[in-house]
Amino acid sequence: MELLAQGIVSGILAGGLYALMSIGISLSWGALKIINLAHFAFVLFSAYIVYQLTVSFEIDPLLMVLVVVPLFFLVGVLVQMFFHLAKVDEFKSLIVTFGLFIILQSLMQTIWSADFRRIGPALNTYETESFFIGGIAFQLPQLAAFIVALLIAGGMWLIFTRTYFGKAVRAVAQDPAMARAFGIDSRRVAVILSGLATAFSALAGVFIAIGQSMFPELAVAWFGIVFPIVILGGLGNSLGTLVAGVIIGVAAGISSVLWGPLSAPLVTFLILIVALLFRPEGLITKRSIA
Amino acid sequence: MTSRARTLVGFAVVAVALAFAPNIQEAFEFPRFYLIFLFTMYFWISQASSWNILTGYSGYFSFGQGAFYGVGVYTVGVLVVKQGWSFMAALPVAGLLAGLTGLFLGLVVFRVRRLTGEIFALTTLAIAFVLASLARLSTFIDGGTGIFTTGTPLPEYLGEFTTAAYRLTLAVALITVVVAYLIHDSRLGWGLFAIRDDEPVAEGLGVPTFRYKMVALGANALLAGLMGGVWALQLGFVTVDEVFNIRVPLFVILMSVLGGMQHWMGPVIGAVIITTLTDRLNSAGLADVNQIIIGGMLVVLALAVREGVYVRMRRRWLTTAITFFGVLGLTTVLDLNDSLISDFAYAMVATVVVMLVPDRVWALLRDVFRRSEPVEEQTEAEDLTRTGP
Repeated sequence: MELLAQGIVSGILAGGLYALMSIGISLSWGALKIINLAHFAFVLFSAYIVYQLTVSFEIDPLLMVLVVVPLFFLVGVLVQMFFHLAKVDEFKSLIVTFGLFIILQSLMQTIWSADFRRIGPALNTYETESFFIGGIAFQLPQLAAFIVALLIAGGMWLIFTRTYFGKAVRAVAQDPAMARAFGIDSRRVAVILSGLATAFSALAGVFIAIGQSMFPELAVAWFGIVFPIVILGGLGNSLGTLVAGVIIGVAAGISSVLWGPLSAPLVTFLILIVALLFRPEGLITKRSIA
Repeated sequence: MTSRARTLVGFAVVAVALAFAPNIQEAFEFPRFYLIFLFTMYFWISQASSWNILTGYSGYFSFGQGAFYGVGVYTVGVLVVKQGWSFMAALPVAGLLAGLTGLFLGLVVFRVRRLTGEIFALTTLAIAFVLASLARLSTFIDGGTGIFTTGTPLPEYLGEFTTAAYRLTLAVALITVVVAYLIHDSRLGWGLFAIRDDEPVAEGLGVPTFRYKMVALGANALLAGLMGGVWALQLGFVTVDEVFNIRVPLFVILMSVLGGMQHWMGPVIGAVIITTLTDRLNSAGLADVNQIIIGGMLVVLALAVREGVYVRMRRRWLTTAITFFGVLGLTTVLDLNDSLISDFAYAMVATVVVMLVPDRVWALLRDVFRRSEPVEEQTEAEDLTRTGP
């Protein structure tokens, strides 16, 4: 029983990290109509950069947030500018970002090899730290990722509902041409949003780097977890994505405890199939911006 | 004779000629490597053509090729090696199971009302990974140990192993291309093109969209699984990582984007070019950078050539012929390369580069060269594939 409770708690916390990985994809799909498969590679690339800088310069890995987040914001801005220039539509975005994904993944494979990499306890004191409530462990990296995911999901929700920029994003998502007619610079909105989405991916990468081992195939393994979360959460709906992340995380956590870690992808996929069968319009649609 | 009958006779002639390649190889003692190169090419022609039946014709983007192929590989692996079935009995089951996997996916996803195409694409992306976990988990399928398929007995009338594998891949590739061709010029094909252009309108005009999409997806999955079943023998040692990875979908997408997704010939041309190039890259020891080059090509081609090189080759057929045979003749006569495949690779690269010249620049060049003669205007419409009766 305690094992199961631990599985649920770990699942909730892992769900925060999953949500953090999913929010960027959800935003760019919902608001920009670009399904950016390269996001999976961005998350891992950011994790590898954190790993490399920490190991090379022997500094605190959490400080790397100050490096990778602005760096990947810039990457997101450049990618979106490129998409504008090349007139990438929804269909082409799949091919182009898939190509980008392959390039980035091969790059990681060439630079860091296919071996498992981790920062190691000497430099990364966070990984082993955890505290207990009633015999249930809360591991620090997962807990931190969950809190950050909560802040970002809540923050994005506030931005979308309370600010002019949020209104502009929703207008662009609904009808870019009409938004332009009303004086919204849809290109600038898109570029900023893409930068934010990519920066969130980089942030997820930091928590990957301090929480677990990395290997290039990891990016492929995320497809099966992140995509159900994005669909369940509703496109562009950051709070929904967080809820969906927790649901998927708990399901994966319980199934790992009961049937071993290999069963987790099967369970998450089953949830996706059931959700598509019974709620074809998405689990939470009320606040979706698409 | 109708044009369809003529084309089918053409297929038969090519097939019979190619079926005797092993005999020619033996008689003239060409290196055995050429046979292996050829049936690798057949494998990719079949995979790309079957993928194109769904994605090229109907516009529903699928990353699921690797999953369907993997189901085929594992069906033959489990039934023949572990259960002791004969190969010829297991092969249809491989196709059938893969086809059912596809139909199941379609049944779930095609019912979704919004964003069907996007959700379909991402579900097919996820399914290979899910099947990989299933195979790792189940000791009946794999259990993480892998399956040795070397030494699997093949029917004796097909010849010894390499010859038999050659003829089997040729047969499946031929079936795939013929199916792709027949669908292309049929009511089903026109319906699929209509779905690609505008699904709600097609639905409104009476195209049974759900049924057509299911048939296309089923055909794609079945043919991919059939070739997967044949390929299980060629792999020798079947492992989850080797089978359910991103390679198969990546290559079929690249081949079809390069060749063109609107015509049944596009993926065939694309597969021939890409197989030749990757073979040369690998033999030059560039296997590591291979994937980076492939990814880069995919990005560039997706943005640069919307209709694929095949349509342009037909439009600029004279240039294509001159470039291809010119370069091929030059490299052969001068004996620049050690291998005949390298000569072909150079000729193909030269042709593709010429075809990549944008239409606008091309028209400009043509005007410069033909200033004195009247320029024969060719309309775009005649080169595009038919989209309806």
